[in-house]
This record gives sequence, C-alpha cells and structure tokens, in this order.
Amino acid sequence: MQTIHPKITEVLTATFKVPAAEILPESTMDSLEMDSLAVAEFAVVIKETLGVDADSEKLYKGSTLADISAYIDAVVGGAGAEATVPVSNTR
Amino acid sequence: MKRPAIAVTGLGMITPVGHTTDTTWDGVCAGVSPARTVPELLGCEVDFACTVTGIDLDDAVGGRTAFRMGRYVKFALLAAREAVADAGLDPARWDGARVAVVVGTSSGGSAGLTEQTVALERRGPAATSPSGILLTIPSMPAAEIAIGMRATGPSLAPCTACSSGVTALSVARDMLTLGRCDIAIAGATESIVFPVAMTGFARSGAAALRDGDPARLCRPFAADRAGLVMGEGAAIMVLERAADARARGAVPRALIAGAGATTDAHHPTSPHPSGEVAGAAVEAALRDAGWRAEEVDHVNAHGTSTPLNDATEAALIRRSYPHRPPVTAPKGVLGHCMGAAGAIEAGLTVLTLQHGVVPPIANLDAPEPGFDIDCVTKAPRRVPVRRAVSHSFGFGGQNAVIALQAP
Repeated sequence: MQTIHPKITEVLTATFKVPAAEILPESTMDSLEMDSLAVAEFAVVIKETLGVDADSEKLYKGSTLADISAYIDAVVGGAGAEATVPVSNTR
Repeated sequence: MKRPAIAVTGLGMITPVGHTTDTTWDGVCAGVSPARTVPELLGCEVDFACTVTGIDLDDAVGGRTAFRMGRYVKFALLAAREAVADAGLDPARWDGARVAVVVGTSSGGSAGLTEQTVALERRGPAATSPSGILLTIPSMPAAEIAIGMRATGPSLAPCTACSSGVTALSVARDMLTLGRCDIAIAGATESIVFPVAMTGFARSGAAALRDGDPARLCRPFAADRAGLVMGEGAAIMVLERAADARARGAVPRALIAGAGATTDAHHPTSPHPSGEVAGAAVEAALRDAGWRAEEVDHVNAHGTSTPLNDATEAALIRRSYPHRPPVTAPKGVLGHCMGAAGAIEAGLTVLTLQHGVVPPIANLDAPEPGFDIDCVTKAPRRVPVRRAVSHSFGFGGQNAVIALQAP
C-alpha cells in the first residue's frame, strides 16, 4: 500500500511542522527527524483522534508512513469514526 | 567590591503590542492598550487580557520542537533569538561553554499543567502528553534556549513572582562579574492567560473587573485605578562585560550600573504600606551604582494599577527621588506580564536611554491628587536620560530594582 492516511499528514504538518513535501509513503519517523519524544507525542495524537492504540517505539519508529497507514486502516476498518478531543488548545 | 561594567549588547522582546523590540517600543510609545476579550476565557469573571497575537508561535519556533514547549517557553526562545542576533553573535561560532542562560518566570507552565490535569481526569493517562512535564516546569525556557544555542555554561530560572525578570538580570550580572561566564542570555517570560490563573487573580482581588472597554481599564497612578489587567510576553537581553563587548567591536545599548533586592516579609499579596523595604531596594540599587538619588533622570515604575501598589509606590518615588524625575508605567499599555514584566520594563528603560524618550502612561490624564510625582501622560516625552531605574515589586513582597545608564 502506497498511500498515507490523511490524519498522519495532518498531524505531521500541523503539530510537528514537518514540511508537506517531505511526507512520502517511504518516509520513516527517523528520516523525518522525529525524535523519540516527538514520536511518543505523535502516538498520543493518533490515539486521541483515531482511537488507534499502538506501541510508539515498535510501530512508529522503524516503520514507513505507508506501513503506519496500513496499520491504522486495518484497525479503524470501516468504522472510521473520528474522536476529536484535542489534548491541548492553548499551547 | 570593584565590579566590571556590564553591558547590554542585545535585546529581544515579544509582547502584546509587538513581536520584536522595535514594534514593542512603537506600541508602548503609542500609549494604547490592546486589552480585549479573550475567547479562551469565556465564562470567567475576568475574560479579557493583553495577549500576544498575530504570530504563529509554532511556525516561528520551528518544526519538531514546538510541540514540547509551553507558550512561555516559545516566547523566551523567540526573544532570545532576537537578542542574540541583535548582539551580533552567532551561536554556531561562540564558545558555548562560556555562555550562561538565566531566564526567569513566575508561573512557568501552570497553563500546561492544567491542560494535562484535564486530559488525565477526563480521558486517562494515555491521553496525556509524554512531554507533560516539559510543558510545566519553570526551567524549560532556559533549557530550550541552551539547547537551541549550544550554550553549555550554567543555566537557571530565577522565580521571584513579578520581579523575576529583574532578578534574572541581576543574577546574570553577578555571574559575569564573578567570571562564571563571558556571555549571559538573561531575562524572563510568562504566559498565564488561562482560566485557572485568571480566576485566581479575580478571586484574589488584584485583578480589575470588567468595566467598559478593557483597553481603558489599566490606569496606573490614576485616582480611579481598579486593579491589574493581565498581560504576557518575554524580554531577553544579552549581557557581557563591557570591556569584552568593546573588544569584539559591539556597541552596547546600555550598561547595568546597579541592582538592589529586598523582601517585605509582610504579606503574600499586600505590599508593606510604609514602602520602607521596597525603598531599601531602591537605595541598594543606587548605592550599588554609586549614584546620588538626584542623578536619576527617569523612573520606570512597577505601576500595576492596583490601589495599594500605586499608592505605596507613588509615595516611595516621592521620597526616594525628591527632584521629581519623569515616571512611566508600561503596564497601562502591556498589562501586567507577571514574571516577564521586570525584564520587559528593563528593556523599555534601555530604549528610553537610547532614544531619549519616556513613553506615556496609558489611560492616565493625571495622577491621583496627592501623588506628588511627574507622570508622563498622553504623549511620549522627549528628554535626555543618562541614568534610569526600573522598579519591580512582586507578590510575596519580593522587590528588585535595576539601575541602567547610557554607555
């Protein structure tokens, strides 16, 4: 699978200010210069918005964005109901 | 003790009227407060403040790091970058081991702590940020500046309520005097415009309650003053021994001539009505500077617009400087930027020395009858200023005064 879940792109650009041009299916968190703290935060945002729980170290660190997207799609399945409770609003 | 002269070689500010030193100065000289209703304070008894607007802080700070910084940290980092550039220094080229960072704050990330508390209570531990502690602790402004600028010398975060900024400048000056560093990045930051803190200020009785246009509400030294209006922001200076600054060809904006600090040891929120202990901080700063009181050309007052502070401070100014130097109080425009206020006001005092201009006190026609002090009102006053002082008198009675002079 070579597509990126739109939430991944949204979180990477909005929360982490990763330039959209760098966000490619084969990108990894390492290649995007996301350190362990950033990856852990990314995992929380994905959990809070999509309800997808994942071990941030195992799943996100070494995987490509295509891998992560496939995992999210598999977990979310057809339901796809997005929770939209922000963790932060005044930072 | 024979002290080396300490120079202010760089200045950076982010305030409710500007994202830089120059725009802040223009805004303060215009004498108009930006206080307004803040949507995030909906339902609070005090639902207005002077806030930093018109800037995407995360964009300004840069990618991959902003998420781990509270608003107070972002302010400090941005002001520090401006200050270091203003000083003509390049962190990629300096000896970071000789660079100290001293950045104060009063409340640190209390806003972040509150957000994390809500997340924990409503949605459980998995909903809280792995950066939760970083969003909270008062030392992060100094730490993030050090990380961003490869400053591996000592760093710390003075915390003396509303005088934290002046305390930071004074501590940094001492570190330079003692040779602990060659460059000090010093100042203070604050951001506590969020419901818990604003409700606390309203309940403490210190905050002005809504009465017409919030922009007209903070009127330091006015007879009808009604309390403080909240502000936020940061100011950071680059300090160096003047001889070192000259040796590298830097032109100082000003010199720190002296500093004095005392503690009322009286009451958590009320200044001692005699003002004697606060006055002792003024005397200590003047003594440290080797100045006679009548040599002071200008007073940048704490001037919070609370009934008690302004009465006590007006009497103190009258006693300490009987020659009636011109007085300003920037909180009329900026609101009370809390821990950052002392650093911002010291920065404005530096600009007064440089420009020979004393900004007006916003919303003031004339000081309360009986306050025998020369308040600058309505328009900036052009007057040569060689020596000036800035007062900061914090909650808890923590008083700090800094004496600044033209180089």
